[in-house]
Amino acid sequence: MALRFDVPGSGPGGLPAARRGALVLERAGHQVRLETPSFIKYTRHGLQPHLLPDIVAGLGALPPATRVQLEDFLDNDEQQHGRFGGGLHDFAGVDRSDLLVLDVLDPTVTSRPAKSGAKAMAIDSEGGTRRLTPALFAELVDALKPDIVVPPADYVEEPLPSLEHGKRIEKSVTRSAQWLDECVSRISHAAAVFAPVMGSRSLQLRERYAKELAARQDVSGYVFNDVCLALPLEHKLDLVRHSLAHLDSTRPRYMAGASAPDAALRAVLSGIDLVDSSYPFAVTEQGFASDYALGGSDSGDGSAQAAGRLDLWQDAMRTDFRPLVAGCQCPTCARHHRAYIHHLLGAKEMLATVLLQVHNLHVYQRFFVDIRESMARGTLPGDAERFLGRYSCSQDEPGAAFGELRLLAAQITTPTTKIQRQRHAEQPAA
Amino acid sequence: MTTGDEFAHLGAPLESSTSPALRFEVLARCSTTRARASRMHLPHYTARTPMFMPVGTMGSIKGITPKQLEDLDCHVILGNTYHLGSQPGPELLEEAGGLHRFMAWGRGLLTDSGGFQMVSLLKLAKITEDGVEFENPHDGKMMMLTPEMSIGVQNAIGADIMMQLDDVVSSLTTGPRVEEAMWRSIRWLDRSIKAHKRPGEQNLFPIVQGGLDPALRTLSAQELVRRGAPGYAIGGLSGGEAKGAFWRMVALSTGILPTSKPRYCMGVGYAEDLVVCSALGVDMYDCVFPTRTARFGNALVRTGSLSLRQGRFRDDTRPIDSDCTCLTCANYSRAYLHTSVTRETTGCHLVTVHNIAFQMRLMRDIREAIVADRFPQFVRSFMETRFGRTVPLWIVQALQSVGVDLTTPDATGYVAAPIDSDFQKEPNV
Repeated sequence: MALRFDVPGSGPGGLPAARRGALVLERAGHQVRLETPSFIKYTRHGLQPHLLPDIVAGLGALPPATRVQLEDFLDNDEQQHGRFGGGLHDFAGVDRSDLLVLDVLDPTVTSRPAKSGAKAMAIDSEGGTRRLTPALFAELVDALKPDIVVPPADYVEEPLPSLEHGKRIEKSVTRSAQWLDECVSRISHAAAVFAPVMGSRSLQLRERYAKELAARQDVSGYVFNDVCLALPLEHKLDLVRHSLAHLDSTRPRYMAGASAPDAALRAVLSGIDLVDSSYPFAVTEQGFASDYALGGSDSGDGSAQAAGRLDLWQDAMRTDFRPLVAGCQCPTCARHHRAYIHHLLGAKEMLATVLLQVHNLHVYQRFFVDIRESMARGTLPGDAERFLGRYSCSQDEPGAAFGELRLLAAQITTPTTKIQRQRHAEQPAA
Repeated sequence: MTTGDEFAHLGAPLESSTSPALRFEVLARCSTTRARASRMHLPHYTARTPMFMPVGTMGSIKGITPKQLEDLDCHVILGNTYHLGSQPGPELLEEAGGLHRFMAWGRGLLTDSGGFQMVSLLKLAKITEDGVEFENPHDGKMMMLTPEMSIGVQNAIGADIMMQLDDVVSSLTTGPRVEEAMWRSIRWLDRSIKAHKRPGEQNLFPIVQGGLDPALRTLSAQELVRRGAPGYAIGGLSGGEAKGAFWRMVALSTGILPTSKPRYCMGVGYAEDLVVCSALGVDMYDCVFPTRTARFGNALVRTGSLSLRQGRFRDDTRPIDSDCTCLTCANYSRAYLHTSVTRETTGCHLVTVHNIAFQMRLMRDIREAIVADRFPQFVRSFMETRFGRTVPLWIVQALQSVGVDLTTPDATGYVAAPIDSDFQKEPNV
C-alpha cells in the first residue's frame, strides 16, 4: 500500500498559505483520490451520525475519507481483536473506496477528566478509564488495518493550571515522541502515520518538535490536535503556523477542532489541508439547518443568511411549508419542508435529526467544493474575506454564526431532550 | 430488497368487491386453509395482501425516511389519530394538504380512531354514550372524544383507511361490560358513518368487538356486515388474553366477514401470529413491536429474536441473518451491532431497518406461498424453523382448524408435539 500526497512544492521561507493537493492511495485494483482542501467524514462508532449507508450514498460525492476514533471501541477491559474480522473497513461497514483514518480521540469532546501517565494515554470510556499504551495501539492497528493512523499522544489539558509552575508541556512533548517511536516500531500493518504535532503553547517546544518530525521518514502527515481546546481560533492558528514553518511542506496537514466553516476557512488559508465533518453533526444536534455558502449572495432571506443557519425549533416554522433552504439540491429539501421537521423535533422523532443531517452534510460538502473551485480561480482570499464578513466572524471573538460545536461541547444531551426543549421554551416566540 | 410484484403473472381475480375508495381483488386462494392473496386498490397505492403495516405514530417510522420505507417495500403505514390530533393538530394537517403531503409519503396510510390511546395512555378516561371523556394531559381540563370528532380529525389527516371509534374494553374483561361495549361500538359506528365527510376518498373500517365471547363476537360481526363497509377490522384482541381464545375469536370473525373484502387484525405483529392469522383468512396487520424492539437492540429472525446487546454476540462476525438482503445484513456483523446498537441513533436505525425488512419478507413469503398453492408446506416449514419439534398448543389447534395438522408427519418427515406455553421461551437455534 502506498499513500502519497501530490502537492505543488512551496519554497522554503514564506508563510504557509492555502494550497490545493490530492491524497492518493493505490489500493489493489483501484485508486482512492481525495482532493484537498477537504474534510474527513466524522463518525461515531464508525457510523455517520444519524445516517444509514443508503442515505449517505444518496448524498452523492462526499470526500472519500472516513475517520473513526478508537475511544468508541475501548470500553472492554480485555480487547478481543477477533471480532474485527477483516479489519475496520469490514467491521464498521466502511467502503474500500474510502481512506480510513484511525484517530484516538473524538474531536467533538473538549473536556476529558482522565489524565495520561508516563506509559499510556488515558481514555474515558463507558466502561471507565482505559489505558492506551503504544503496544496496545499497535495491536489494535494490526487488527483494524486502517489506511492512516494518528498515534496516541500526551495532549496537554486546557485550561492549563500547571503551565505557570511546571514542566507539563515539556513532559508532554517527551512522552509523545517516545510513544510515536514505540508505535511506529511495533505496528506491522502498513498504515500511513499522521503524527500529532505537539508543543502546546510553547513556541520553543513547538519548533523543536516540528523539526524532529520533519526529519522523520516514517511519518506521512501531520495532525494538529493539541490546539483544539480552549484557545481562540486565531491564537491556535498562530501556533499551527509556527509549527508548519518547521515541518516538511510536502506532507498533508489535518487539523482537528477547526471544523466550523469560519474556522475551516481560516485554517485552509493557513495551509491546512484537511478538517473533519464534526461541524454539520453539531448543527444537527441543535435542531438547526445550515444556510451558508462560500459564494453566497447577500440577497434573499437576509436574517437566515447572516446567521448561517435556520433554527427549526422556532414557532414560525410550524406552518412554513418551504424547503429548509430555497434552491437546495439535497434529498431533504427535495422532498420535505420546514413544518414537518419542526413537528418531528417537537415530537422527539429521530427522523428530525436524520433529515437535518442530510441537509447539513450536503451544505458542508458544497462549501468545500466551492473552496477548491475558488482556489482554482485564484479568488480564495477575497471570497474568504467576504464570507467571514457576511457572517460577522471577527478575528478575535467568535461571532454568532458557526458556534454550534461550542454549544455541543457544553451539552451532554441531544436535540430531542429536555434541555433543548427548555432552551426553546425560554426563548420568546419569534 | 425484493420489491417486485409477486402477483404479476396472475389472471383475473377469483372474486372482488368495489367501494368508492377501495377495490379488493382476491387473486389466489390456498386450497387447504383460508389464506388468500389479494390486491387492495387504495386512493394512494395498490397494496398486496396479506401485508404488515409498520406504525408511524407521530407521522414518521422511528428514524426511517419515507424513501427508505419505499425501498423496504412498505405498502401502507399507520398513523395514530390521538397523537397526530394533538401534534401537529388537524388544522395544520389540513393546511398542509393532509398527512400524505405533510410527511411526503405517497403510498397508503391508515389511521386508528384514537380511542385505544384514550384508554391505554390516559388513566382518567371515562366512557359515556357520547364518547370518551378524558383529562387533557397538557392542561388538566376534561375533554371529550366523540365518534364525530375522531372522524373529523381522521378526515383532516386524510388516510386511505380510517377506523371507527370503538368502546375499547380490555380483552381480559368479562361480564355485562363486554356486551355493553359491543353494542355501543355499533352505535358509534353508525354515528361515524354519518360524520364521514370524504367517503369517496377515504375508507371507514368498522371493528368487530365482543371480547372473548363467541356469541357477542358473532352478533357484532353480523351487525357490521349488514352495514356493508369497504373492509373490516377485528379488534379487542392482542391485549394479553390467552392465545387459545385469541385465535378462536379471529377464526370466528373471519368465518362471518365477507370473503370479498379485506380483514384487518389489529395489533398483531409476532411472526407466528402473522402466519397463523393469515391461515385463518386475515389480510392486514399492524404492530409497534418490530420497530420498538429494534430500539432495545433486538433483531428479528425466523427462529425468534437476537438480543444484540448480549455478550455472546461480541465476537460474532456473522450478519443478523445471512439470508436477509437488507442493508444492515449486507454491511454489518452482529459483533459490530453489539458495540453500537443502543449507543448511536444510527445503530438503532440499522436494527429498525432490518426488522421492517424481516416483516416485509415474511409477508412476501406468505403471499408467494399462497400464489403457488404451497402455503400449508410453508406454514409447516416456518413452524419447524421457529419452534422445532414442540409447538405451542394454540398454534397446533388453530392450524388444525384450517386443515393443517402439525402432529402428523409430512413428506419431509416434520412432525411437532404441542406444548402448553403460549410463547416461545428460548430461540430455536
